[in-house]
Amino acid sequence: MLRGFGANKLLEVDQSIEVLQALTNQKIDIMICDSQLPPHGALALTRAMRRKGDNQNRTTPVLVMTSDSREGTVKLTRDVGANMVIAKPMSPKSLYDRLAWIAFTQRQFIATATYFGPDRRFKIEGYPNGVGRRKSDKAVEVAAEAGPALGQDDIDSLFGAARSGQT
Amino acid sequence: MTEESDHETHIFPVETRYHTMAKRPGGVPRKLALQRAQAKIDELKPAFNVWLDRQLQEFIAAVRQLESNPDNLSRLENAYGKCRQLRNVGTTMGFELVTFISDMLCDNFEALKAGAVYQKETIDCQIDALVLASKPPYCTLRPDQLPEMTSGLREVVERVKSLVAK
Repeated sequence: MLRGFGANKLLEVDQSIEVLQALTNQKIDIMICDSQLPPHGALALTRAMRRKGDNQNRTTPVLVMTSDSREGTVKLTRDVGANMVIAKPMSPKSLYDRLAWIAFTQRQFIATATYFGPDRRFKIEGYPNGVGRRKSDKAVEVAAEAGPALGQDDIDSLFGAARSGQT
Repeated sequence: MTEESDHETHIFPVETRYHTMAKRPGGVPRKLALQRAQAKIDELKPAFNVWLDRQLQEFIAAVRQLESNPDNLSRLENAYGKCRQLRNVGTTMGFELVTFISDMLCDNFEALKAGAVYQKETIDCQIDALVLASKPPYCTLRPDQLPEMTSGLREVVERVKSLVAK
């Protein structure tokens, strides 16, 4: 799909350790990572990438693909500093729109003792190309992790719902 | 870097190369990008059929190992992982029914992880449906085009869930 979007240089790795090694030698434009990337998963990888102070890819956008789209999991992914979560199975459209949203939605970075990553309190104005907010966005409540899987719209709203301290 | 310090909190704008590249003039329009991505997926479909056959065989073998010892967590994770792969790739490659049925199997594996009893007949029934869904003419059909089959499978899953709830 990425090649279809025009990406001509793709770096593929099977292990999160290989990612960290690769990132020490080069700067990448965006990281798209499976949440179950062995051995430690995307959350640990994103956290390590964000926390390492001398890492030239520290502010690189991170998009996490997951088939576990429960609210708790999505919130955890957001809280380690991922820019966006995309639910699997994914289509070219769903991937393209999230990539475009990351590109065209300016978010400041926050650095605290416990968090380094894009501002989780951003105001969502809708996704590019007509993918808009749902009316139910404002009613999103973060529930216990054992809840049902979320659809992509709900994942998007969960990222957006952090504004104004809603989550 | 500009900072708006508030004790130990630093807030600063970030403009990465990704952002810069995306905003530059030109580039591929969205509609064309989506068409090209779909074309790339279509190129992979012949290889996907081979992958699907192999993945199904591996999945079935993993389930057979699991049914001989349903309490074995690593066997459960192995079967569940292969099932997730089928679910995740199916729709992307145009095999919606494969994703639909493997998603139901995933629910079954979730139920097993939550303490449900291994229901061999249920899982075998779903596997039979999955194998059927991977072959023509079913592989090109959507779940809503096979209402009897999908409602039957849904009932089976609900039955398993109710057993877990008890």
